[in-house]
Amino acid sequence: MNEQTNKPTKSVTVVGGGTAGWIVAGRIAAMHSHGDDGVQVTLIEAPGIPTVGVGEGTWPTMRKTLRKLGISESDFLRECDATFKQGARFTGWATGDAEDFYYHPLVLPQGFLKMDLAPYWQRSLKPQGQSFSNAVCYQEQLCEWGLAPKQMTTPEYASVANYAYHLDAGKFAEFLQRHCTQNLGVRHLRDEVLSVNTADNGDITSLNTRNSGELPGDLFVDCSGFSSRLLGGHYQVPFIDRSDVLFIDRALAVQVPYENPDDPIACHTISTAGDAGWIWDIGLTRRRGVGYVYSSGHTTGEQAHQRLRDYVGPGIEKLSVREIPIHSGHREKFWVNNCVAVGLSAGFLEPLEASALVLVELSAEMIAEQLPAHRDVMDITARRFNETFRYRWDRIVDFLKLHYLLSRREDSTFWRDNRDPASVPDSLRELLALWRYRPPGDCDFTSNNEVFPAASYQYVLYGMGFETDVEGMAHRLREEQAAAEHFASNRKATERALAALPEHRELLERIHQYGLQAI
Amino acid sequence: MARLVALNSELHRNIRIDTASIERQGASLRMVPVMPSEFLKLAIDYPIVLTKNAETGRFICVALFGFAEGENLYWDDGRWQSLYTPMNIIRQPFFVGTDENGQPLLCIDEDSPCVRRDSGEELFDNEGRGSPYLERMQGVLGQLLDGEKQGADLVRCLQELELITPMRLEVTFASGASQRMEGLYTVDEEKLRALAGEPLQQLNTNGQLAHIYTMLTSLGHIYSLIERKNARDAAVAEA
Repeated sequence: MNEQTNKPTKSVTVVGGGTAGWIVAGRIAAMHSHGDDGVQVTLIEAPGIPTVGVGEGTWPTMRKTLRKLGISESDFLRECDATFKQGARFTGWATGDAEDFYYHPLVLPQGFLKMDLAPYWQRSLKPQGQSFSNAVCYQEQLCEWGLAPKQMTTPEYASVANYAYHLDAGKFAEFLQRHCTQNLGVRHLRDEVLSVNTADNGDITSLNTRNSGELPGDLFVDCSGFSSRLLGGHYQVPFIDRSDVLFIDRALAVQVPYENPDDPIACHTISTAGDAGWIWDIGLTRRRGVGYVYSSGHTTGEQAHQRLRDYVGPGIEKLSVREIPIHSGHREKFWVNNCVAVGLSAGFLEPLEASALVLVELSAEMIAEQLPAHRDVMDITARRFNETFRYRWDRIVDFLKLHYLLSRREDSTFWRDNRDPASVPDSLRELLALWRYRPPGDCDFTSNNEVFPAASYQYVLYGMGFETDVEGMAHRLREEQAAAEHFASNRKATERALAALPEHRELLERIHQYGLQAI
Repeated sequence: MARLVALNSELHRNIRIDTASIERQGASLRMVPVMPSEFLKLAIDYPIVLTKNAETGRFICVALFGFAEGENLYWDDGRWQSLYTPMNIIRQPFFVGTDENGQPLLCIDEDSPCVRRDSGEELFDNEGRGSPYLERMQGVLGQLLDGEKQGADLVRCLQELELITPMRLEVTFASGASQRMEGLYTVDEEKLRALAGEPLQQLNTNGQLAHIYTMLTSLGHIYSLIERKNARDAAVAEA
């Protein structure tokens, strides 16, 4: 073994100080930086480079991530203008009609671990006009009534109804920076990386910086954003373009103040379909974040601006609208030699279903938990990491495509082109074929690395009005009684939750004032 | 519904308080906030535990009266069956409010069934001077006000030392029914025993250690509470 291959992993250098950089640095430091022989984590961030800050919606996974970082939920909510998110309301996606909407909530369907209610819903409740989400889950009602997913007496990170967050990405990065440097021992350098020094085996030995000299490291994490400084720039890892499946390539983003400071805050992401894309609308404590993501191949920049103006109203004239390019896709590999990319440097997709931050969290978790102790086993970890995340990107692409593929909108080429079989991945086409005769189930998602559970597919599928022909499986549907009990339990759970849970903004204000207890 | 108004010697000159019905007002309370200065008296009869204030999420000390919502096992046979009744029960129908300057203000619930015109304890004499009964109640309310602060001090001590722990309690009654107790907390005995040196000495000097042990000792009354519940169930079954 030569010097390069038997080195222990004692120092990790993170390049880039956005949310991705700080989450990775924090997770590694929280797990490995204890004691004299722990791992030293250094984050280098070029001064004056603004973070892209589009990741403002999270998954419920963020609760675990913050807890693992040793962060108080009350502090996080206060300092990042964060709010609770209980899923997404998709408006106008299926038909574009005035009353067309459905929810993808975060609470699993009633009794999901015991039995699948989807076929029973389809036979008994769907004909009565009851939506799938309302029949099997109480969370849509919480969202419609603007109620929070927990109470003042619920401990930090615990829930009455499963939840994620909406947050101010800029404030979140600063908050994480303070926490990581003050409490987790992460070294923070504000400096610019000029060039990369490598060993014979291709490993990065150090980075040359403008003011801090040579910065060595055993593992380098590329969180440099779209520039992909190390993985794309230095290692020239090819970019896999997914715009053949997902057509969205532009975002127009604007921050909209509330008309009155005590206006209600939506407790879910509102996603409204347009003629060449869709509009996101998320409520933070002090403002909303609104944006139109669209396909420039299906509309003009001027039309897109008009679409956003129509949604936001005349007040938009005084606000600054930012244009962000979206190159849908990801790198062919994410971990090469002793360098791994996390965040935008690894890839980016449109913000539908908030996949950006969850991929950062999953990457940070895998790197922290499986941090190779020595260089000589790093290639094995790298291969596993690449397999895992290639799988996850593919599943996310499939799931996002599902939202478009099931639409019956005929009003624009954008929606019609999205149904072109040539734009549908084989993996998704096969699943949809199976689901014509049975609902999505756990048997369809058997990897340890799944990102969306079968429940999410059910919510989107049946929310979009997909027809599963369950008559072919009628002989299997012999649990009518149990299903009826589950539907009744859900009605009771809905009543209980509506009676017990406070209004969203009211709870946030109380949390700001009193804080939640840790236990 | 309660209608709280500031007590006024003109407005309330002719009001009388039916003291015999005061305890009845707590007949369907499952718990009531208590203060450290009454812990020793409470510990004769009640379990003293911690719970969270629904409005603020902050911990408060309470005496536990029952298992189910609205169940008070100390109210039986038309009277309060214990040697000591918590101050927050006997202070009815009076409350402490705050005036426009944030100063404490004695208030009365005019809608309380204890407020009468025909019979009971007078609040004021003909000249508008407070009666001995009113003075006594002012004393009780004053103690409650101080007690709130003492309770907050105790909770702060417990939190700083991370001594609060959720109570995991599932009770099975003689009837076979069982009930899980949610939202109750107590002191972590193991962590308390592991305390040493300066923190322990400080707890002892400021008197909190005694309060903590009183709370822990009082937990034995969970068993007497179960007995009361069994007795009530049996009585209902016989009837």
